[in-house]
Amino acid sequence: MKKKMISVLLTAAMVAGMTVGCTTMVHADDEITLKVFSNLPDRKNGQGLVEQMIIDEYMEANPNVKIEVEALDEEAYKTKFKAYAMEGMPDVVNIWGQPSFLDEVLDAGVLAELNEADYADYKFIEGSLEGFKKDGKLYGLPRNTDVAVIYYNQKMFEDNGWEVPSTYQEMLDLAGTINEAGIVPMAMDGGDGWPMAVYLSDVMFKLTGDYKDTVSNAIANGDFSDQAFKDATQLLKDAADAGLFQTGYDSQDYGTAMNLFTNGQAAMFYMGSWEASMALNEDIPEEIRTNIRVFTMPVVDGGKASATDIEAWNGGGYAVSANSEVKEEAIKFLNYMYQPDKLSKYGWENGVGMSAQDQTDYMTGDETELMKQIVEIVTAATSVSGTTINDCGPSAFKTSIESEIQNVSNGTTDIDTFLTTIGGSCK
Amino acid sequence: MKKLYSNKLVITSLVLPGILLFVFAILAPICLSVYYSFTDYSGMGALNFIGIENYKTLMKDETFFIALRNSLFLAIGFICIQHPLAIIVAAVLDKLSGKGEGFFRCVYFIPNVISVAVIAYLWKFIYNPDFGLLNNILKVFGVTEKINWFSTDRAIWSVLIVLIWHGFGWGMLIYYSGIKNIDPVLYEAAAIDGATQIQTFIRITLPLMKPVIQVNVTMAVISALKQMETVYLLTNGGPGNATQFTATYLYQQAFKAFKYGYGNAISVIFIIICLIATVVLNKIFEERRPKKEVR
Repeated sequence: MKKKMISVLLTAAMVAGMTVGCTTMVHADDEITLKVFSNLPDRKNGQGLVEQMIIDEYMEANPNVKIEVEALDEEAYKTKFKAYAMEGMPDVVNIWGQPSFLDEVLDAGVLAELNEADYADYKFIEGSLEGFKKDGKLYGLPRNTDVAVIYYNQKMFEDNGWEVPSTYQEMLDLAGTINEAGIVPMAMDGGDGWPMAVYLSDVMFKLTGDYKDTVSNAIANGDFSDQAFKDATQLLKDAADAGLFQTGYDSQDYGTAMNLFTNGQAAMFYMGSWEASMALNEDIPEEIRTNIRVFTMPVVDGGKASATDIEAWNGGGYAVSANSEVKEEAIKFLNYMYQPDKLSKYGWENGVGMSAQDQTDYMTGDETELMKQIVEIVTAATSVSGTTINDCGPSAFKTSIESEIQNVSNGTTDIDTFLTTIGGSCK
Repeated sequence: MKKLYSNKLVITSLVLPGILLFVFAILAPICLSVYYSFTDYSGMGALNFIGIENYKTLMKDETFFIALRNSLFLAIGFICIQHPLAIIVAAVLDKLSGKGEGFFRCVYFIPNVISVAVIAYLWKFIYNPDFGLLNNILKVFGVTEKINWFSTDRAIWSVLIVLIWHGFGWGMLIYYSGIKNIDPVLYEAAAIDGATQIQTFIRITLPLMKPVIQVNVTMAVISALKQMETVYLLTNGGPGNATQFTATYLYQQAFKAFKYGYGNAISVIFIIICLIATVVLNKIFEERRPKKEVR
């Protein structure tokens, strides 16, 4: 009797288990869950909002698809990305089309190859896909065209009779004048290291007119003794010595630097064009946000680049995991995002800066002055720099330059030591 | 019951969970860490066995020694500043009877219940040269200069103050419990003999607190060596490497520079240093015990 009871119970358990299994399978056939791993934690403003809008639209258009988003800020994102690379990637991920990030990722084979021919009609700007390729194969798509710019408070400039500097020396002289008025001349996120590395790239581009070969040779040989590096580093140090940046810039983070500018305590803010959405951010006092304007790094005495040669690159983008169980759907979603009337259009409408796709069709004339200025800068550009110096080498080099640049700018180490140290990190 | 405990199956089933936990959560990761430290693994893709190359590089790595020096500096700061203060405050609190005792005990412990992220940002704002509380207070006293509290030469001191302040409550609470466990009869006898409060503290409180001090100091040294989150959020090791600590440097090399093998070599050395510190501290405290017994 007891044995019979046990047999009945076991059979019931087996049947129940199989039923549940079958239901799950049917369930799985109907519903697809896409996991998106994003570096845009703010889903209500700027780029994060645009990404979320497209995700919501996709789910509405495809009721069987559920998209789960995991969003972390850049630093935490990159760390977890690596952990995911070891144990299995989410289906759609953010990537950076730069050697410092992508080389190791592509070597590990964690990203799916995309068919470049599929994107012939997606209006990608000439050359913008290059950073996402390896051996001629495409592994990701660029999201932005980033431009290094100097945001300034136009009203503050006018009220104090300050002029937008046209040369580097004028900018340093202006720093003295602004300091005398008790205002921070330029807010700099020096704590993170990379904005200063972008600044260094910016002045080096103004000096050389093209630094690609010089930088790639220096990284390949671990030798940064070229005079251009010394001169560019000296220009960065001159700026710090002239008091262009706020006191303690080398330990202050992105938010603190930006707050100095958006609260009217700083006259300028050195950052990328992606912060153009400041003009639409209602958290910033109206008097400031409506008066934010922009200019690019002024020309350097004896430099080869003109005012219209700008520091710009295609940085962040998206890719699909090579081992995704729903790879087909993930690529379908990726392609949906990049339809010209999605990421590019919504990005434009929300003032998040320049996309890597042609956006001229979406200009309505109602854009903020800041957006119009950035468009003018890009359309008038006679040449662009490409990837910034810190992102041209392996991640060990990136880590080194972004840490050592704080020491050289604040005078803790001399320029030769700085260049030797970053050279050493490439070997 | 006795029969039950002599049953090997019972013994095994009781011991096994603990052993498994130790093997899989502690021993296996350490062994894996040692293994990876002999490779050039980047954290992704293939790895190559490179022998002791990572350790050789580590011995020539200036930043590692800066980080190690900072960690030891913090440990000394904990032992010489935080803990003497914590013992004194605990002793004073013990003497404060009534509502004051509970109130101050809570006040001193508050930093420990606040999240590390909040603590870090709170102090970032306090130290900010442009709008920070500290410079604003100094302004009241006529100091108009914008002092950069995180400059290369000051940053380590600024970080030290935050860490001492943050960990103070724990130390104080443990000392406080230790003091409360001392038999009041001893104090009464001392009072009858005419001992002053300072004499009572030095001759009764401190000697009887030795086991507590040993535990607290060992914990302080270990926590100084593995200090990571507060420093990471406060300065991220900067400016340059001025506030780089062993754990932050390990993190930077393993997860930012994609030098996972090298990061593991740092972690192995780090474990060895922690073990040596624990053994040395135990020896220091052990040597004094027999002397006490002889007396």
